[in-house]
Amino acid sequence: MIRFEMLTMAWSALVSNKVRTLLSMLGIIIGVSTVISVIGIGVGAKKQIEEQYKNLSVTSILVFPARGTVTSRLAIDDLPHVLTNAQFVEDGTASISGNITISVGKESEGASLIGVTSNFFDLSNLDIAYGELLTKEQNSSRAKVVILGYTLAETLFGTPEMAVGEMVSIGSRKFDIIGILAENGSSSFGISYDDSLYTPFSTAEKSVLGDKAQIRIVFLGRDVETLAFAEEEITALLREKHKIREGKEDDFRVRDPGSMVASAKESTNTMSFLLTAVATIVLIVSGIGIMNVMFVTVAERTKEIGVLKAIGAKQKDILEQFLLESVILSLIGGMIGIILGQITIPLLKEYGAEYSLSAVFLGFVFSVLVGVFFGFYPALKASKLDPVDALRSE
Amino acid sequence: MTSSKEKIIQLNNVHKSYYLSNGEEIPVLKGISVDILSHEFVAIMGESGGGKSTLMNIIGCLHPLSSGKYFLEGEDIGHVQDDFTLSFIRNRKVGFIFQQFNLLTKISALKNVALPGFYAGMSTEARETKAAELLTSVGLGDRMEHKPTELSGGQQQRVSIARSLMNDPEIILADEPTGALDSVSGKEIMDIFVNFKKKGKTVIMVTHDAHVAQYADRIIFMKDGKIADHNYKIK
Repeated sequence: MIRFEMLTMAWSALVSNKVRTLLSMLGIIIGVSTVISVIGIGVGAKKQIEEQYKNLSVTSILVFPARGTVTSRLAIDDLPHVLTNAQFVEDGTASISGNITISVGKESEGASLIGVTSNFFDLSNLDIAYGELLTKEQNSSRAKVVILGYTLAETLFGTPEMAVGEMVSIGSRKFDIIGILAENGSSSFGISYDDSLYTPFSTAEKSVLGDKAQIRIVFLGRDVETLAFAEEEITALLREKHKIREGKEDDFRVRDPGSMVASAKESTNTMSFLLTAVATIVLIVSGIGIMNVMFVTVAERTKEIGVLKAIGAKQKDILEQFLLESVILSLIGGMIGIILGQITIPLLKEYGAEYSLSAVFLGFVFSVLVGVFFGFYPALKASKLDPVDALRSE
Repeated sequence: MTSSKEKIIQLNNVHKSYYLSNGEEIPVLKGISVDILSHEFVAIMGESGGGKSTLMNIIGCLHPLSSGKYFLEGEDIGHVQDDFTLSFIRNRKVGFIFQQFNLLTKISALKNVALPGFYAGMSTEARETKAAELLTSVGLGDRMEHKPTELSGGQQQRVSIARSLMNDPEIILADEPTGALDSVSGKEIMDIFVNFKKKGKTVIMVTHDAHVAQYADRIIFMKDGKIADHNYKIK
């Protein structure tokens, strides 16, 4: 149990030497604020990566038309071709997208339309908020039905819930709104899910977008280990289907976001580790600074220690008092460091730094530990002083 | 309670030596045997370096003995090493008064006086009430919140007397209590000391001032680490 008098004594000792107290705190202030901003950056970077790849599984393989190729033969029928012939591919979905103008009454809004196969929502981790998802039958019958992204529905109808059952016009055609997607917040490779609308693939391809359409196919590999084989298979099958001769370039691009996520996470971890190592070194150095100051304090107050012993202070009491002093010193330094760290976070926004409660907690724990660890030896020395020698010192 | 005839302190053939860093032995006390009775007011006089202060420190349990025996209230404590026991004795059995007062300069007179009560485990309220009473009894009732630096030498010594009484010790040890004071303040301090006797305290005082020593019941004269006279008379 820490006794209140000990606290006040330790406090008044620290206050009576403000400049020294502040200087010895400096190390821990810098150390703790570094820890806070480092963790903030780490947390932010992780979140950004997760946000970016939220709608993709680790086993996703994306196929796009090659850039700059005048005619890419990538088409919807590549999907069944790969699915039936590949060993390492489990599932897949195709989407086609383009920009259109959508109108409700006299209101018009630009939006991207995505024509999708019925399993698109499932494979993209998109949930329906109101109404229903698209069916296979709607795809084969080129039904004029549409699902709206959350934000788009909000823009057009105010409350997204009200939109289900209403009609929208795309060009001269009218579409029934059958569902609204749950808010997703993210975008992937140029598509913002909340701002888009979704029709059956065939409807989009044949009735709305025509030549302006951008196709992309997402395959799901069987597992992470065989992802590389799946990629090879897809490439081979597509080249075969597109009749591309050996030596000629692919007319499509294959991307593997799963491994991109992994490498991005890894580099974030490496960075966090390095910065944490730096912060740890700063904290150790600041601890040594505190130890130094405590030694000076003990030396200066040797006589006082002698007096306290003469009037009945136990070794334990002296130890407690000086330990408390170093802990208060490092704790206040830590608090200032935490505050400083919180101020620094917004300045590091461009590096994606975010507030983190665990960082604050860690900074707090670190500063207490530094105080106890580096304050212990000087306090122990103080407690072991011979009372007569101590009284004799000036 | 010890009766007035009882020997509260008994030293038998006490030796104390210091050792230099090269291992050389410097004997300071060379076989001290002395009895001090309960409620006695004893002054210790003698030449500088004669071992007066060392004797005080041994009685106050600040120093271990090199050899010999020390009985405090009949208990042999000369070779106790345990910090808990030693600090208990310093806290409850004896009260120290120093030449240079040795008050903590950053806290008030009241808090200084209360400090031994803190180490004795008294509650804040109880010890500050007691400290206030003690300060009032030494005539400093109106100076309680002053810091030592705001008090005169005589006043500071009265604060330190009040501090020595905080846990009602049987024995008061005073090392040159008037050494840093003018004669008027010194006389005030000695009046308080004489009063201690009436309150049943045993007072042991080191002094080189014959005038001050005359307030004591008995004067012990030390010379060269030995007691030259157990009942020295000033001519």
